[in-house]
Amino acid sequence: MASVSGKRMIPGLRNAGTANAFAAVENELMVKVLLIEDDSETAEEITAELADRGFDVEWSANGIEGLDKARALRPDAMIVDRLLPGMDGLTIIEALRKDQMRTPVLVLSALGAVDDRVRGLRMGGDDYLTKPFAVVELIARIEALLRRPTESRETTLRVGPLELDLIERTAKRGDRVIDLLPREFRLLEYMMQRSDQLLTRAMLLEEVWNYKFVPATNLVDVHMGRLRHKVDGPDEAPMIHNVRGAGFILRAAP
Amino acid sequence: MALPAALSKRDPGSGNSMRQPQFIRSNTFHWALAVAGVFAVFVTVLFGFIYWQIDDYLTARSDAVITAQMDGIAGLSPDRRRDAMDERLREDPRGVQISAIFAADGHRLTGNIESLPPLLRIDAPAQSTDIIRIDRNGREHQVIRAVARRMRNGDVLVLGRNVDEAGEISHVVGQALGLGLLPGFFLCLLAGAWLSVRAQKRVEEVNQRVQRIIAGDLRERLPHRTVDEPFSRLAVIVNGMLDEMETMIHALAGVGNDIAHDLRTPLTRARLSLERGRTNARTLEQLQAVADKAITGIDQSLTIITALLRLAEIENSRRSAGFGSVALDEMLREVCDIYEPIAENKKVGLHVRVTHRLMVRGDRDLLLEAVANLVDNAIKFTPEGGRVDIELLRGDSETIVRVADTGCGISEHERDAVLRRFYRSDKMRHTPGVGLGLSLVAAIVKLHGFRLAISSGSGCRVEIICPDREDGKKGPLARLTKAGQAAGS
Repeated sequence: MASVSGKRMIPGLRNAGTANAFAAVENELMVKVLLIEDDSETAEEITAELADRGFDVEWSANGIEGLDKARALRPDAMIVDRLLPGMDGLTIIEALRKDQMRTPVLVLSALGAVDDRVRGLRMGGDDYLTKPFAVVELIARIEALLRRPTESRETTLRVGPLELDLIERTAKRGDRVIDLLPREFRLLEYMMQRSDQLLTRAMLLEEVWNYKFVPATNLVDVHMGRLRHKVDGPDEAPMIHNVRGAGFILRAAP
Repeated sequence: MALPAALSKRDPGSGNSMRQPQFIRSNTFHWALAVAGVFAVFVTVLFGFIYWQIDDYLTARSDAVITAQMDGIAGLSPDRRRDAMDERLREDPRGVQISAIFAADGHRLTGNIESLPPLLRIDAPAQSTDIIRIDRNGREHQVIRAVARRMRNGDVLVLGRNVDEAGEISHVVGQALGLGLLPGFFLCLLAGAWLSVRAQKRVEEVNQRVQRIIAGDLRERLPHRTVDEPFSRLAVIVNGMLDEMETMIHALAGVGNDIAHDLRTPLTRARLSLERGRTNARTLEQLQAVADKAITGIDQSLTIITALLRLAEIENSRRSAGFGSVALDEMLREVCDIYEPIAENKKVGLHVRVTHRLMVRGDRDLLLEAVANLVDNAIKFTPEGGRVDIELLRGDSETIVRVADTGCGISEHERDAVLRRFYRSDKMRHTPGVGLGLSLVAAIVKLHGFRLAISSGSGCRVEIICPDREDGKKGPLARLTKAGQAAGS
């Protein structure tokens, strides 16, 4: 269910134009994703899910073959399992980085150990996902990797009627000034940099609050509830959307 | 036995050793053999030394005697000298005495030496010399100790003594050697063999018990005697370890049961809803609702597994490499900041009291997790209108993080239990949670070498006590720098 609703709500395919990846989709130049995963069932599920979302998925079950494919195909993003026959996932990433290939890589692993995660990221992985994971989470992270906000010198973020002044630390929706606490400001800033993108709870915890674990209480929902209360006034069209079982999206257009 | 047999087939030389009794191959026996060898060498050297000492002593004594006799005889008149010499020979039943007088031209006047020994220095102290002794039985070559002196009339007086007695002594010594050394040597070997056999027996006994333990009989223990000997002490130590392990295994089995139970509940729900949905669902919406329910159940199970793995990871972790300086004051404010809306929603007052900048050495992420867990718990178990206080205190050479609430508290007998995995107080049965939170905190605290203290104030009070590290300079556990910034909530 979660994945179904997530699929429907992923904005990129319809609201293209905000990021290159999705412009590419519209131009019939599909975004290429290379999946290196030795478990064929998992691979099938992921491939099907990504294909549904308009990605061109290439699958490789073996580390060495995977590395060859990565060099030949030059994919836009890669999903690499940590433990692979032939060649370890981290070794592949290391080899690619040596070749000056900057392709964003999402590392998958059944090893949840914190050290392992740190190692995965240090070796050049861009994000790390521990098995078992929800498909929505995987898709959201891949899209986030494909649409990483570019370094900008803009001091004002704008999404639809929403305006965030990073210097003055003020927020406005149209003419209405929104009074934000520092933590709310940080959350809104993160969301505005990634508007029209599904942000999962785990992503928000990691990126906004620097939480490396999932707390017992549903922290994200409470914080998001507060922020939404301030951003979306009683008679305004909602901008912050809750995707059931998946996460949240800040949308420019209602 | 399959392996040694195979070895002996490959190497015919080792076949012999296979037929030797077990004790001969044992290390104990080899040691005994070595000790016996050293003993034999030592005894031989000792006897040699004694022989040499005795020989030396006897020679010196006989030298003194013949010199004294020479002095006596030399003082007599020439005629009396001859009588004295003859007298000396007559009074020597063992035939060890040698005496002779040679005229100035070298021919023998009287005595039992054939001729004046050419190498005998005259007027010198007693010395060893070769002579030909003559008597009724004929001529005989001998080595003697002798002294020669030239008299005023030109005669040369020779007095000597056969020291071949030393040979006899060496014979006696040899006999003593044989009689003393050989039994000693064999006694050594015998003792070695006995000790070896005894050790072998005990090892075999232990081996049998250990095999039984391996086979699963966890109550089996190693045999030991009440005597204070190394083997028994070792057995007692191993038994202690076995006791500990048995307790641990039982505890683990208990945890296993808990896990199974906690996993079964959500999985059963998931299964039930899937089963019912499969038969009853008529529309897509109904089916989706069923799938949603099932996913929730499975997610709950996964949450439990993740928490358990994480707990195991932290408990097994020996790393402190990732440790750095963590500013507790900042961290507490952060936690408070994150949990404030949650507390507010529940109408619980959340306050942080931090007056100093305090640093500890540790893993920031883990410590944050620990404190967040405590605060999470505190808010969860505090009824509406209550309050939760987060405090950072400085005690004598320790830094204390205190989370106090006005909730139901933890009763005395439950305090150890709450740290156990899956423990949930009866009062909290209805509160959602995995029941691993406090065990996780305990594991993190232990990893850092801190202490966890649970006491009751108006509700429950949990403290993480971070003692200062002794090596004051490097990574001071708590560096007190008055920041003078009192923090509100």
